[in-house]
Amino acid sequence: MNTRRVTLCAALLVLLILGVAPIALMFARSLSVNGAFSLESYQHLLATGRSWQLLSNSLGLAMITAVICTLVGLPLGLLFAKTDLPLRRVFVLLFTLPLVIPPYIMAVSWSDTLAPHGLASSFFGPATTQKLSGLLFGSPGCVLVLASTFMPAVMLATMTFTRTINPRLEEAARLSARALRVLGGITIPLIWPGVLLAATLVFLLALGEFGVPTFLRYQVFAVESFTQFTASYNFGAATAAAVPLALLTFLLLGIEWFALREKIQPLRPASESDSNYHVSLRSYRVPLFALVSILCAIVVLTPVLSLLLQGGSTQSYLRAFRVVSDSLMRSIFLAAIGATALTALGFFTGYLIHTRGLSIWRAVDAGTVLLFALPGTVIGMGLITLWNRPATNFIYATPLIIVFGYLAQYTALTGRVTVAGLTLVPASMEEAAATVGANWMRRLGLIVLPLVKHALVAGWLIAYIFCLRDTGIAMLVYPPGYDTLPVRIFTLMANGAPSLIAAACMLMIAATVLPLLGVAALVRTQRRRRLWR
Amino acid sequence: MRKFKIPIVAVLVAAMIVLPGCSSKRAGVVVYASEDQVFSEPILRDFERDTGIPVKPVFDTEEAKSTGVMNRLLAEKNNPQADVYWANEPIRAEVLKQENVAAAYQSPGAEGIPAHFKDPQGYWTGFSARARVLLVNNSVAEKPKSITAYSDPAFSGKTVIANPLFGTTTTEIAALFILWGDEKAKTFLSDMKRNHVKISTSNGESADFVASGESALSLVDSDDGANRIKQGKPVEIIYPDQGDNESGCFIVPNAVVLIKDGPHPEAAKRLIDYLLSAETERKLAASDAAQIPLHEGVETPAIVRKIENIKTMQADYAAVARKMREIEPLLKQWAGL
Repeated sequence: MNTRRVTLCAALLVLLILGVAPIALMFARSLSVNGAFSLESYQHLLATGRSWQLLSNSLGLAMITAVICTLVGLPLGLLFAKTDLPLRRVFVLLFTLPLVIPPYIMAVSWSDTLAPHGLASSFFGPATTQKLSGLLFGSPGCVLVLASTFMPAVMLATMTFTRTINPRLEEAARLSARALRVLGGITIPLIWPGVLLAATLVFLLALGEFGVPTFLRYQVFAVESFTQFTASYNFGAATAAAVPLALLTFLLLGIEWFALREKIQPLRPASESDSNYHVSLRSYRVPLFALVSILCAIVVLTPVLSLLLQGGSTQSYLRAFRVVSDSLMRSIFLAAIGATALTALGFFTGYLIHTRGLSIWRAVDAGTVLLFALPGTVIGMGLITLWNRPATNFIYATPLIIVFGYLAQYTALTGRVTVAGLTLVPASMEEAAATVGANWMRRLGLIVLPLVKHALVAGWLIAYIFCLRDTGIAMLVYPPGYDTLPVRIFTLMANGAPSLIAAACMLMIAATVLPLLGVAALVRTQRRRRLWR
Repeated sequence: MRKFKIPIVAVLVAAMIVLPGCSSKRAGVVVYASEDQVFSEPILRDFERDTGIPVKPVFDTEEAKSTGVMNRLLAEKNNPQADVYWANEPIRAEVLKQENVAAAYQSPGAEGIPAHFKDPQGYWTGFSARARVLLVNNSVAEKPKSITAYSDPAFSGKTVIANPLFGTTTTEIAALFILWGDEKAKTFLSDMKRNHVKISTSNGESADFVASGESALSLVDSDDGANRIKQGKPVEIIYPDQGDNESGCFIVPNAVVLIKDGPHPEAAKRLIDYLLSAETERKLAASDAAQIPLHEGVETPAIVRKIENIKTMQADYAAVARKMREIEPLLKQWAGL
């Protein structure tokens, strides 16, 4: 067996042990009652007659959220990446903020905003606020919270993928067509696979989300699974309730594979220089600026300001820092470790999928996406079942178990980002190096890794955000006395002072945004140095 | 040296991750707490200070409806990580007994606590309780005296109750099924629905609805009511069904459980003794938790009524735990979930 095959098999093995084995154990548990084989959990699920309603709600919520995110995120991404809209960098930062906050906190923030004495009532009056509050509890509220939280994923994907288009194509088209037609006829079709990737991600995130629908009282399968855990302590039934989510995920993957089959795009690696094709908005500059500002005020500033105002004075923030500093440091440390491990595992799984390095590459892709779509509670319980044994206490009783959980659930993120990066690397480069005798490791280190480094950095940042905001897994497996910041925020939400909770949320936003700004500054400095040379 | 750089960094990082957890396994006491962190953490810190025994806590989250650690205890049954479970109501403690996760321990601290707030075999012991009270807005002229106000047409569309699938609301409804019998309890639920009761996400939210005047009354936990009064909201707490021929007010004590085969049994017993002491009950009564001491004669602030001054419902918590599982599908249907 050659090194390439051994390495890819090792990555696959890690994925099987960390991700697939816990879920397989939970699935086996759902097929047994009192130690004997039984389909009772599934019969019960089908017998209740609510399954079709749950299916329709789950599918509807995920689809509407994904569609809205695409309809809003795509134009915003194009506006920020391709035009001269004023303050576009500030807008990018602001619109990204909701993505770094756990959706449940966004739901609570919206609920506070629309409460009788909340921020909204001072603008619209109590009667209108009460009507809006009524709309919040149900499917409209779920869509609002989830769409505003996940929309940045589509926006950022659009911005990233527009940088991979060869500008000559757009410039050639511009010779005989208007800017809007170039966007519609050239740019959007070329970035469509990336946008579809982000929309898929949003669909899966909305499908597996249970905190927001539980809080806003909307029945979906993720809530059913959660209720089986919380109200009945029935692990088998909870897993059975998550199986329809798995089926929906496979359906989505089938559609995605069909839509993107054999598509070859004339892309180029992200440019070091800023030589992208740009559109001048001219007379549309001010109206579009106003429109984007209004949207930003509604979906971002309203909930974030509500948190900021509740956070209170500088003293409150200092107090909050004292209370949560341990958890904050642990979260940053674990998220950094998790993101690094995810980037490494994601690189090899992405490489495996892109190069079809093993015959089961499609199963690997489906498996990672499935793990990403499952509720964190199911994965968390699976991790406990698998690792809580005397022989493996050195894993289960330590923060390693949280990192294992991150690897189980989020490998799809870094894997898919790697695949997107690898599509920009011509296979001929690696083949040429192989022809002159470079072994696989050398080819990987000298050709592939340098060419996909932007994708790896993007993957690391995405993984960092998701690890930092994770609650589903961390709250079930964190070792005693070793909680993370989101878990601490959630435990404080039970009768804790609202100002303390809001200030802790703002600290979490800072913990996420600061590394992102740091990386952006580093990239900019490197670019300047290169230009200087 | 350069070629060793990556392995050295990897080993250091692994050590930084693993060591904190390893040390937590060696010493101290591990407690899983469903009682709100803001109330339980100060008590656990006091225990650390007074005994020198380090406490490693796992607290429950609001998002998991205070059942996260319970699920964890059940999942960890074959290799327990916890020594003590501090439950915020006795039903979960009873479930742990039924699932063979709890160990019997008759703590000296349990002396003086009324018998019906303790498991007879010592698998769990109740302390510092909440009462299920009616929180009524001051605008209501004629104050209700019974929980049957929910089915009174005079309060049609003016009542709110927390989601009956979770928490103390479920417990109380299950207790009513036992006290009244299934038929009467089902009729009560139907009447409530016919009377357009609103369902909130939590007792805290119910209390907020009453405090803002959006609803006239709600069954809530006594600490939710006490907090709204401390905040100066226009509400009054009414202990329901206190008449001679009435059932009394449902009491929800905290419960402490010794976990079977936990790693630190001796330290666990010391923590249990500490939690069951009159001094801990006094602290929990004086804090924002506003909990009712179960030892008689413990000093309480004015807002916390003493247990000897409340007519309490004589509930068999073991029977309530079994009933809860039985009526769960009905409650799901009732709540439209």
